[in-house]
Amino acid sequence: MSTKHAEAAERFIENKEQESWHNETLWLVRVKRDNMAMAVPEWEELRELANKIKMHTITHLHKYIQQFAENAEANGVIVHWAKDAKEHNEIVYDILKKHNTKKLVKSKSMLTEECHMNPYLIEKGIDVVESDLGERIIQFMGVPPSHIVMPAIHIKREAVGKLFEEVLHTEKGNSDPTYLTRAARAHLRNEFLTADVGMTGANFGVAETGDVVVCTNEGNADMGTSIPKVHIVSMGIEKLVPNHKSLSVYTRLLARSATGQPVTSYTSHFRKPREGCEMHIVLVDNGRSEILSNPEHIQTLKCIRCAACMNTCPVYRRSGGYSYTYFIPGPIGINLGMLKFPERYYDNVSACSLCYSCNNVCPVKIDLADQIYRWRQNLDSLGKADKMKKLMSGGMKFLFTHPSIYYNTLKMAPAANIMPRFMIYNGLNEWGKGRELPRFSGESFTQMWKKGKVQRKNNK
Amino acid sequence: MDNSKRDILENIKRHTSVQYDMPEIDIEGIQYPDKISQFILISKAVGGDAVELDPGQDVNEIIRALYPEAKRIASNLPDISVATFNPDDVSDPGGLNGTDLAIIQGEVGVAENGCVWIPQNVKQKVLYFITEYLVIILDKNNIVNNMHEAYEKISFNDKGFGVFISGPSKTADIEQALVVGAHGAKGVTVILK
Repeated sequence: MSTKHAEAAERFIENKEQESWHNETLWLVRVKRDNMAMAVPEWEELRELANKIKMHTITHLHKYIQQFAENAEANGVIVHWAKDAKEHNEIVYDILKKHNTKKLVKSKSMLTEECHMNPYLIEKGIDVVESDLGERIIQFMGVPPSHIVMPAIHIKREAVGKLFEEVLHTEKGNSDPTYLTRAARAHLRNEFLTADVGMTGANFGVAETGDVVVCTNEGNADMGTSIPKVHIVSMGIEKLVPNHKSLSVYTRLLARSATGQPVTSYTSHFRKPREGCEMHIVLVDNGRSEILSNPEHIQTLKCIRCAACMNTCPVYRRSGGYSYTYFIPGPIGINLGMLKFPERYYDNVSACSLCYSCNNVCPVKIDLADQIYRWRQNLDSLGKADKMKKLMSGGMKFLFTHPSIYYNTLKMAPAANIMPRFMIYNGLNEWGKGRELPRFSGESFTQMWKKGKVQRKNNK
Repeated sequence: MDNSKRDILENIKRHTSVQYDMPEIDIEGIQYPDKISQFILISKAVGGDAVELDPGQDVNEIIRALYPEAKRIASNLPDISVATFNPDDVSDPGGLNGTDLAIIQGEVGVAENGCVWIPQNVKQKVLYFITEYLVIILDKNNIVNNMHEAYEKISFNDKGFGVFISGPSKTADIEQALVVGAHGAKGVTVILK
């Protein structure tokens, strides 16, 4: 029995060339991350601090969220509270309506993706323009992001070239990334200049000052908030840090972990609305406060959305973002999906080899793999355990608790060496898909031991 | 939506159980024996550049030499004679589109990552991003080692906006191929005085 992830992954790996390109490209990002991390002697100390500051902040959220809101309001910012996605979208639309908005220019926000905001606003007649290059590409294509930092990582330059020929009237057959980026720059420059409202997500909210901090390389969040008269920030309530001293820890970790850069080109601190303009912050819960009471999964609230766990994940790299059924893929997405709606997203828990690489790169030390393991242990209580695996586990339990049958079975194993392929590699043997069975030894370890054939290896 | 605020706060309170202490943030961040040369090195690494002004050298000369083709040059700094207009005279932010070069003042430089802190010191902050090329003037005595030191030192003014800029605008969204000049400046030079 395959999970939806396994089925979708099978489609992804049909294109071997694309699969290895995806794998190698993301691995390169991981290598860049390693180089950055190793150049900072206090790296592990930073991760530990980042972990502790977030654990403190999310377990004192009641205090910090109010402090943040009060300070933002004192700075002249209008603060809104949204219990769920629906309220978030309605609040945003209300603001847009009040300002007779025709065009909204956005920078990247996984939260607006989570709230399905774009389709909601587009249906209401708003022209929603994504301004991050990768986001704009996938918006033109009408597809969702396949990675949370590099949303168009699955799309080849030729496809972007072809797309831009149609929508931006670029030269035929030109797929040079610099040429295409320049074309997008000119196109989006015009969008920035003509938008009525600019919207951003938030990387961090600083409780002590009310600052919203947004990190980008392209400068699109800054363009989008420096021209239109209204700036709306969509922010999850878990994004808080207590003060600038804490923020300094995260600004050192974020870009190094995400893309292997020492920092993003722009780290912008929005404290007040521009002169004569409006700034709104929409604080969104949408299930986050409930995670606080879940000791097994509370650590997901520490996430700073750097995507290091995806880049390092051997399953993500070789199966692509679209193989996951939740909109955030990779180890963090597996866990967030299960927290959101386990009956709908349980397929993703199979997308993990429990190699624990994600735990080791996570800049805030989320116990990602442990959590995935725990979800798997609980699948049966959801009624979603794989029937074949259950049967096999039952069989193995029987074998392992009956030594004489176990040894007899083992003696038969070498027979597999001489069995014709069709008997082993067929639809009944899930394990045999894409794998080669190793040769069974003619003797078991126990038999060899008893005959004194097992020698201590001399380490000279 | 006052009810939502109350509900969210109540939910947070109800669901919070074990509380964790705030750690002492007494980390010693990376230190550099020569912060200026490290700053220049990292500025190049992030796709920008940094140059040290020689004693007696005119900053305008350097700017002219670096950007000979710039025509519309914006600056509100009194020493910048190469400027062709004062951006603070432009009230509509969109009016700054088409600026070839902007020369602005930075407050704090960071040796570990090439960041320069700019508390909004022009009328329309869009200038920092909309200009084709950007020159940041920085007192080399204001370079710190790392972000911990930087956040101790930075300040905001009444405008309530500040940004760390490290190098030019860039993207790698098409096949991870690095392209400089996505939406913001295509080149950034920090001049150390």
